[in-house]
Amino acid sequence: MKRTTADRVLSAWGAGFLLILYLPVALIFVYSFNSNVVNMMAWEGFTLDWYRSIFGLPTQLAKSENYVESTATLVAAVRNSVVVALFATVVSTAIGTATALALGRHRFALKPLYQALLVLPMIMPDIVLGIALLIFFVGVGVEPGLSTIVAGHCVFLSSYVFVVVSARLAGMTADLEEASADLGASPWVTFKRVTLPQLLPGIAGGALLAFIISMDDLVITYFIAGVDSTTLPLFIYGVLRRGIKPEINAIAMLLLAFSFVVAATGLWLRSRRQ
Amino acid sequence: MRPARRPVRWRLVGLLAPATLLLAGLFLVPLGIMATYSFLSPGLYGGVEWEFYPFNYGRVLGAPLGDVEEFDPVYAAILLRSLRLATITAAVCLVVCYPAAFWVSRLPAPRKNLFLFLVTLPFFANLIIRVYAWMLILRPTGFLNTALDTLGLAAFAPDLMFTEAAVIIGLVYVLLPFMFLPLYAAVEKLDPALLQASADLGATPWRTFVRVVLPLTAPGILGGCVIVFIPAFGNFVVPALLGGAKVMLVGNTIEQQFLAARNWPFGAALAMLVLASILVFMLAVALRAGRANPSVRS
Repeated sequence: MKRTTADRVLSAWGAGFLLILYLPVALIFVYSFNSNVVNMMAWEGFTLDWYRSIFGLPTQLAKSENYVESTATLVAAVRNSVVVALFATVVSTAIGTATALALGRHRFALKPLYQALLVLPMIMPDIVLGIALLIFFVGVGVEPGLSTIVAGHCVFLSSYVFVVVSARLAGMTADLEEASADLGASPWVTFKRVTLPQLLPGIAGGALLAFIISMDDLVITYFIAGVDSTTLPLFIYGVLRRGIKPEINAIAMLLLAFSFVVAATGLWLRSRRQ
Repeated sequence: MRPARRPVRWRLVGLLAPATLLLAGLFLVPLGIMATYSFLSPGLYGGVEWEFYPFNYGRVLGAPLGDVEEFDPVYAAILLRSLRLATITAAVCLVVCYPAAFWVSRLPAPRKNLFLFLVTLPFFANLIIRVYAWMLILRPTGFLNTALDTLGLAAFAPDLMFTEAAVIIGLVYVLLPFMFLPLYAAVEKLDPALLQASADLGATPWRTFVRVVLPLTAPGILGGCVIVFIPAFGNFVVPALLGGAKVMLVGNTIEQQFLAARNWPFGAALAMLVLASILVFMLAVALRAGRANPSVRS
């Protein structure tokens, strides 16, 4: 087929689209290695000092208020984020999978209600859910902390897991399960030996998505976190509110690398299984 | 042989119980309390006084409710600005993504998958970092102005930080994948034979676009607009970091009522108004979609 002007315009537009998506991230990557301590946007030379600095390693940088005050706060924030994400992922994966099985393999009158109700936490603006949970936790007298964050995250993560697992379930026929039942397997054995192995890629995909979204959440966490339960996004938000520091580039790059590795693993797993 | 009914139902109850408890206890009840709070009067140090007080809504909506005394036009302006910026954000996302979706859908298979992967990947990057990237670019001594300065164009260097433009740029960047994916799904389903048929029957490319392509991709356009508009409207991180105190949106105002002004009932009323606006918006879209394509019932 001959390339027309329209095709060329489309190609240029597509290239521009990818450039817009990746240029901002690429800038952080480049400037995270800039040794200029006065103006971080003017390139001076290559250094790993910003990365060394966030790990508390000795650097060539002069001590000044420019730099992240304490590695301990950062480490605590990372630990809080990971703990919250792990607990919230396990709980919401269990709930989301159970719900997907209930709606995908059973017929009942309230099904449309459940389907609508499960979509709501995903499309509702974060801030509305955040303040509703804040009012609720204060009202029932629960001290804000890691447990309230885990509980809050489970509300919307379960919906995401439900969607991913349901998609996998919809692509499976019930034939094998029926055959297993006809051959005399109990419902539990059928689930363990037939349904679960087929469903596993969906469950794994849902869990990965839940983990990433939990690590990423800022707004809902912002309202239900306690003084000692600052997560990594909250820590970065706090630093950014006070001004930009070069270490943020290094922290951002490490976090991006982590998210991209997890996401790429998930997307690769999905494409391989299909 | 059909299995007995009772055990099957118990299994269903067991499977549904966790989600039911979670959604009732941590979603519906909190939203219900929030709705109740929006009709109470503020407590002295945060919290509420348990007396009926309908003026929280009057403060935003003003005259139509007859509470002119409490009316403060600032809040109505903030609500309108949020609606306006969310609409612009959805429109810009649409214009940016529509041609890009066509481009990806016409690529040969291996490259198509690679580009879909590349488009999806930033979606998983931490939100706060994607917003931070634009702080680096837009602030007065940021990348944009430094680059213009280096090129000798310092006179044209704009001060975009803390403007509506900066907030729109940030919202568009953060929400682009939400628009791209539904658009792509619609464009991918488009049958090239229909375009050929339209051209063969003598339609100009523009006429083919308006009469064939646009109606067939309308579901993707509507879907994309809905899932971009909603998070843009209630957003709080992007305006807080790129808009500052100058470009307050309803999300920031709600945050302020809860953490600074300590007027929880008013904050709850604002949140209820956000929910109501979204509900009206979604109903309007659903009705429009129903009218444009009567065979589709959703």
